[in-house]
Amino acid sequence: MQPQLIRELEALLGPKAVLSAPEDLMLYEYDGSVELGSPRCIVFPASARDVAGIVRLANRYETPIVGRGAGTGLSGGAIARNGGIVVAFSRMNRVLEIDAANLRAVVQPGVVNLDLSRAVEHLGLYFAPDPSSQKSCTIGGNVSENSGGPHTLAYGVTANHVTGLELVLPDGEIVRIGGRSIETSGYDLCGLLVGSEGTLALVTEITVRLMRKPEAVKTLLAVYDTLDDTTESVVEITVRAITPAACEMLDGFTLRAVEDYVHAGFPKDCAAVLLIEVEGLKEAVEAQAAEITEVCRQHRAREVRAARNDQERNLLWRGRKEAFGAMGRISPMYYVQDGVIPRTRLPETLRRIEEISRKYDLQIGNIFHAGDGNLHPLILFDERDRAQFARVVAAGGEIMRHCVEVGGALTGEHGIGMEKNELMPLIFTPDDLALMERVRAAFNPAGRLNPGKVLPMGKACGEIRVPPTPASAAIPT
Amino acid sequence: MSRPAQVSFTRLEEIAGGAHVITDAAEIAVREVCGKRPAVIVSPADAHQISEVLRFAVAEKLAVIPTGGCTKLGIGSPPARYDIALDLSRMNRVLAYDPHDLTLGVEPGVRIEDLLRTLAEKKQFLPLAVPFSDRATIGGIVAANSSSPLRHAYGAVRDFCLGMEFVTGEGTQAKSGGRVVKNVTGYDLHKLLIGSLGTLAVITRVNFRTFPMPQAQGTFVASFSSAEAAFDFCRAVSHSVLTLQMVEVANPGAAALIFSGEISARIEPRTWTVVLSAAGQPAVVDRHERELSRLAGAADAEEFLPLTDAEAYSVHAQIREFPKLMMERAPAAAIFRVSAVTGVMATLLGKLRVLAVQHDLDFVSLGRASGIFHVAFLPQKEISAPPQSLPRVIAEVFRTCGQPEMHASAMLEWCPTEIKTSADIVWGPPRPDFELMRRVKHSFDPQNVLAPGRFAGGI
Repeated sequence: MQPQLIRELEALLGPKAVLSAPEDLMLYEYDGSVELGSPRCIVFPASARDVAGIVRLANRYETPIVGRGAGTGLSGGAIARNGGIVVAFSRMNRVLEIDAANLRAVVQPGVVNLDLSRAVEHLGLYFAPDPSSQKSCTIGGNVSENSGGPHTLAYGVTANHVTGLELVLPDGEIVRIGGRSIETSGYDLCGLLVGSEGTLALVTEITVRLMRKPEAVKTLLAVYDTLDDTTESVVEITVRAITPAACEMLDGFTLRAVEDYVHAGFPKDCAAVLLIEVEGLKEAVEAQAAEITEVCRQHRAREVRAARNDQERNLLWRGRKEAFGAMGRISPMYYVQDGVIPRTRLPETLRRIEEISRKYDLQIGNIFHAGDGNLHPLILFDERDRAQFARVVAAGGEIMRHCVEVGGALTGEHGIGMEKNELMPLIFTPDDLALMERVRAAFNPAGRLNPGKVLPMGKACGEIRVPPTPASAAIPT
Repeated sequence: MSRPAQVSFTRLEEIAGGAHVITDAAEIAVREVCGKRPAVIVSPADAHQISEVLRFAVAEKLAVIPTGGCTKLGIGSPPARYDIALDLSRMNRVLAYDPHDLTLGVEPGVRIEDLLRTLAEKKQFLPLAVPFSDRATIGGIVAANSSSPLRHAYGAVRDFCLGMEFVTGEGTQAKSGGRVVKNVTGYDLHKLLIGSLGTLAVITRVNFRTFPMPQAQGTFVASFSSAEAAFDFCRAVSHSVLTLQMVEVANPGAAALIFSGEISARIEPRTWTVVLSAAGQPAVVDRHERELSRLAGAADAEEFLPLTDAEAYSVHAQIREFPKLMMERAPAAAIFRVSAVTGVMATLLGKLRVLAVQHDLDFVSLGRASGIFHVAFLPQKEISAPPQSLPRVIAEVFRTCGQPEMHASAMLEWCPTEIKTSADIVWGPPRPDFELMRRVKHSFDPQNVLAPGRFAGGI
């Protein structure tokens, strides 16, 4: 990279806010996915003006720009695929305003998801999107990826909780879209920007909705001896239109790995468990919990038990949220999928995943947001075994194809990024993609912002790209 | 001016069939938009025909406005051109309904009333309690982003729409989103279409998630001596653990419209009223009644009344139809859709009321406590011509809402056509984000075929 650009960035931001030594750059080569890419420098802006200045310099030097929060993303969204400048938002990490009366907060993009909930906890409020990485992921990253989490089932994804954004456009202009009120006249630009994976603009300020904590919460653990009974229970809960706040499933393989690590109390000899949470007024919670228990029993749940206190509840949730991490104990590496299916197709889909696991001779753990049909099969592998890795990629592609065939989608919450962009033609026609490209160009005409993401780069429709040799065990938190 | 004489109908007849190309004067008049009438009405059978009509329009430099039940054609700024009304009422099928998965895919011409009836058979519904419910179609409701009081619990169209199929201004069929309840695959282009008034694309399919009907429902009315007291009560409710379906605030003028018969006798005139609905298991509804009664008492409510089922049915219908009731009461009214945070609503409505009084206009407001209101300025006497002061009042409304501390956004949803002399009259003064909207428009409709001039900033 032009040393002159580094000097200009240092002049703009101060020398401490620019990293360009190889050993520093290595830390920013990867995120939570299996992807890799080397940036030429990392910059740490402190304000929207800084960001605008960086963008103008990048334009002058015709250099790509990639925004980055905590780097916990699972589809390579924060990776500098074509090199260039990584704009890391870790210094822009202030909660600017808590407007409790109106249930809003204004935050900088580098605020950690859970830190916002903690900052408003004393007011009885919280920020609803709760990705498993919420202890470290940032709200800017959540906005880019339109992140979900277990409680998405009841409360929606990030897009449902953002009312306004401040953007730095790729030409350096600073613009506000949306606002603090629940809607703003004109096209829903916030709706477009949330989930655009950093390809349309850099987000420098976010106005979010805060939610009131529910009066009562009940967390149930249902234990099963067969996978079919487990998935049929989920279907029945959906069919009966019971709406839990979360409905998570862990299969036997996954829960055994978790249990050894977290000691959450999952029976290690079972085929699968459902972790179901109901929230709301205590009257509603009791009625729903009773109905869910009945459904699980009808589907031959060996045991249905409720967490007796917060400690038990937190332990069960730790078992769920740290499951990915637990996999690191039994496998050097795993590849996490994020397909979505109509919820009624859950039983056949799990059977299909079992077949794929046998066909490719791979261990696949299943842990997912069963209630909204968002699957996270984890394919375990050892990155030193290249032949095995090729099978992993093929198996992942086959799972994806199944999701698409039954009317589903490629990603429920992890994003397309550089992991699935070449799979987009499985869902979208060339015309669909051409329109998306035009909309991208409307914001990002030179393609300088996060190049190589979301949309396919080549014309090889439906071909699965073999990712580079993975970096190190990617363990999303 | 339109150029009726220049439109060749032969090609349109080839596309849609002779029976579906109409020039009947009465039908044309129904599809008038802000004083402009199309030369012809084409009723396509499917997305392919829409695509062909739009390609024809591009080639002939004609302007097209999609129509459904023709209930909201008055919304938006006056189109610069208007040659073809694209009537979508033939596309009225439910394409997919999986009650077990709680998902639904429909064509744009499906009437909301029919759709809700279909869903009710499976004890489900869509939270779209929107005006003109006997004629409004899904396409129009989505394109106008009609406001529903059920937004309080279920969100707006953007929150429960899963994806769409549509035809762009160039006649290209495209889609975004999907049919599953959770999906971040690709750009959410369909969100741009919600509220776009047909200026970006013609919607050919909308996928929704559906919702289970609650077991029981209760509706309650609390009345207050001032706006401040009413909004304080709303804030106490929103900060409580209660989970309401609907919280509506009516000023005295609005209360006179939404309450009729016996209920109106039970409610003190000149008060501000809050109408709330709770739903769920009977025990949940009972709990809401107890707690709301207590909160109302603590907020110095004049009255707190549970409504009978018949009363509730009537009040819900009146709230749903409120914009229509306003227009029927005074065709010369200016009706704004205003959004603001709850905390400033009392102040904002107070300022707007003063404005009305200064100009000898009646002031009526009804809206969601979460921050979306219809605010109407009405002539005090029954007159057909709009009051002379209306343009000044309109400008003043935008100025008031534009004050930074209000965090408000306004749009003039309905007013007499003669008042609409520019896009700014309807959408307010230009904003910095209008340029981004212009670029979005250009990506969907580069030839400016779809409803040119009807949107913000003259888009």
